[in-house]
Amino acid sequence: MSDKLLKLPAYFLADLPPEAALTPGLITEACQTLKRNRARYLEGRTTAGIVQRLDGLGRDWLEADYPFRRHVLEAGPAATGFSAAVLAAGLDSFFQQLTADNLDRLLRQELGHPHRLDDFYAGDHEQGSNRVALARGPQLLAHVAPGNIPSAVMLDMVLGLLARSAQFVKCASGQAFLPRLFAHSLYDAEAKLGACLEVAEWPGGTESLEAALFAQADCVAATGSDETLAAIRRALPGHVRLAGHGTRVSFGFVAKEALAGRHPETVAARAALDVAAWNQLGCLSPHVIYVEEGGNVGAEGFADLLAGQLEALEKTHPRGQLAAREAAGIAARRSFYEVRAAHSPDTKMWASAESTAWTVVLETEARFQVSCLNRFVYVKAVNDVNQALEGAEPVRDKISTVGLASSGARAAELAQQFARWGARRICPLGEMQRPPLGWRHDGRPALGDLLTWSEWEK
Amino acid sequence: MSLIASFDEFVPQLRVFMTRAQEAPGAEPDAEFNRLAAALFALQRDAVPIYGELCRKRKVSAVADWRDIPALPTTAFKEYDVTSLPPAERTHVFHSSGTTQHRPSRHFHNAQSLAVYEESLRPWFRRHFLGPQSSHGSTGSRPAFRNNPQLIVLTPPPAEAPHSSLAHMFGTVRPEFGGALFTGRVNGEGAWALDLEQTMAALREAQSAGQPVALLGTAFSFVHLLDHCRAGQARCRLAAGSRALETGGYKGRGRAAPKGELRQMMTRWLGIPESHILGEYGMSELSSQAYDRVLPETGGGFRFPPWARAQVISPETGREAADGETGMVRVFDLANVRSALAVQTEDLAVRRGEGFELTGRAAGAAARGCSLLPEEL
Repeated sequence: MSDKLLKLPAYFLADLPPEAALTPGLITEACQTLKRNRARYLEGRTTAGIVQRLDGLGRDWLEADYPFRRHVLEAGPAATGFSAAVLAAGLDSFFQQLTADNLDRLLRQELGHPHRLDDFYAGDHEQGSNRVALARGPQLLAHVAPGNIPSAVMLDMVLGLLARSAQFVKCASGQAFLPRLFAHSLYDAEAKLGACLEVAEWPGGTESLEAALFAQADCVAATGSDETLAAIRRALPGHVRLAGHGTRVSFGFVAKEALAGRHPETVAARAALDVAAWNQLGCLSPHVIYVEEGGNVGAEGFADLLAGQLEALEKTHPRGQLAAREAAGIAARRSFYEVRAAHSPDTKMWASAESTAWTVVLETEARFQVSCLNRFVYVKAVNDVNQALEGAEPVRDKISTVGLASSGARAAELAQQFARWGARRICPLGEMQRPPLGWRHDGRPALGDLLTWSEWEK
Repeated sequence: MSLIASFDEFVPQLRVFMTRAQEAPGAEPDAEFNRLAAALFALQRDAVPIYGELCRKRKVSAVADWRDIPALPTTAFKEYDVTSLPPAERTHVFHSSGTTQHRPSRHFHNAQSLAVYEESLRPWFRRHFLGPQSSHGSTGSRPAFRNNPQLIVLTPPPAEAPHSSLAHMFGTVRPEFGGALFTGRVNGEGAWALDLEQTMAALREAQSAGQPVALLGTAFSFVHLLDHCRAGQARCRLAAGSRALETGGYKGRGRAAPKGELRQMMTRWLGIPESHILGEYGMSELSSQAYDRVLPETGGGFRFPPWARAQVISPETGREAADGETGMVRVFDLANVRSALAVQTEDLAVRRGEGFELTGRAAGAAARGCSLLPEEL
């Protein structure tokens, strides 16, 4: 074993050996301990103190020799399937955001004042009125973490800390690696904060364990498929609030003016970054890149450039090993499009040789296509934005992010159009998988949704 | 290598190969398989438009080795007419099963190719289900059962499910048995249902008569039947020599049960021992089937008849997977005369010696953590 690997102490349920079976009693006991620890160590903490701690933690994680980071990069590829370079890029994206400034901005945005979790304050627009308010987080916040990528649950854990909640993070089977390391790093930074956290993993839908957890929680933050969320909603006691994030998909839109310049490959490089980040597995990752015809290169030229950029990224940020089932999913899709491309000039395909590392499928048909992910992306030619929106109509209510390559007045116009149509987030192409710390998660105030207000009209 | 000028010339040569292979199983010469495969490939390249397009795209015009024949994915059968038959000659069409699919695969036949399908399935079924001593028997002989066996088929009869290659297959093997009863029904939506009352009555009757039973069905229909037995605590003790054939195909509906669990339940509730349960692997896109044992021998992985060969292909490299490595099943089926002899499936398998063991299916479109949306595959 490498000397870079940490020996993690057994603080959390996820640290137990795999043969140790979880029981409802164990979950209940863990929740009660968490609540006691919260009352003792967390409830009375100031926002400023927590922000400072998180700011320091963010900086630590960016240090090359921070033991937890080294551990992730060393053991992560085997544990998660992501290559070390993909993990490093994901850690950088997330922890660069975790700064005191950004946390302060988030608090102001969601609460109107940075200290309203500490005491009664008037918000920015209530100055001079006789109203003040303070916000409280749930006593025990239970997270049902998604199985795809780990960054979302780390952000949710940060929000839970700001809310002064004890937190129980339930991960899908085999998905606890990074949340567990993050929890250990918090424990290491301040054991009292770590004592208000629990991390465990079990297969989603294990009713006895989930019933025990939900019986103790005041609020459940869950990310997963619409079916998973519906099942959780049915299982929750009436008084427990659900902050749920269901099925979401995203796409890119490259406006013609973005391809009017002399360097269309820079646009393709940004699209490639979005496809490669977390291997495209997040809800913010693009399934499809719509390319507006009329630029110096058309959709086909763009697809060709994108293929080149994905090939280059494979050298610096390899996708990593896939389970046979996933690789076969890609191979099967490639076979299908190979036949279609042989039959019709409307379909073309670019694919990595001797591997399933990346695939670009070009089609003139604008209908949104759900990708099998792991760096399999569709490029679709459209005459204008309306054609793209018509193509994406079947998934309109599921769209999270539109990664936009455009500029100036046109960008503002397009952003308006996407927002009115229903997109929750519009960001520059290349930033799709790097949402700001304070982003309104799929259109909802992520921190605000956890809180309950007390108001005092003086 | 001698050329074969037409499908009509090919079929008699295939029949000779099939007969010889049955007479001396395991001794079929590789060169002869290769010759027939290369000839059929050339015919299909020129006569099946979508296949010809794929071959041109891949720049494959002739092959020296059957392993080099480009395989057509099963999904191509959904989107294109994979056939050399002009529309007027397509007297039969088999659809892939399952109501969860948007578009089924379609496999067209004429009288001749349907006859080849039947000639392919009959001897291999006999050999595995009825026992090795039956493999040389003629259509009329039924040597495996001491007394008149009752055939109970859990699918609809072929007349009610004319587009099911499985129902057609069960109809084809029916003369091997005495009485035959099809207890599956086609409901209003075109989905298959099982007449549980009728099935249970037939099982009980055979049990009291001490008559062995041959039960054929999809794994899904067996799960349905066994769940019913369990719910009513209705345990059958079928006569010695009773046997069952189960074929995959949950197709995303109903309760799925892992293969081991299914077989344990069959033993527990029907009294059919593991040694008398046969697994079948087939699909509408093929004309030959693989079986996972010769009853009542122990299983050794799925094996196709000598006129069809399977490879396990690494999804990463597209080359044959190493022993013990999971890959995708690719089948080269000489009995697929009028469609495409090389078919790439989405089934996952591990090679086990001469056979292969199924381990699952390629991942669908659903992203991890996010779920199904409208899709075209």
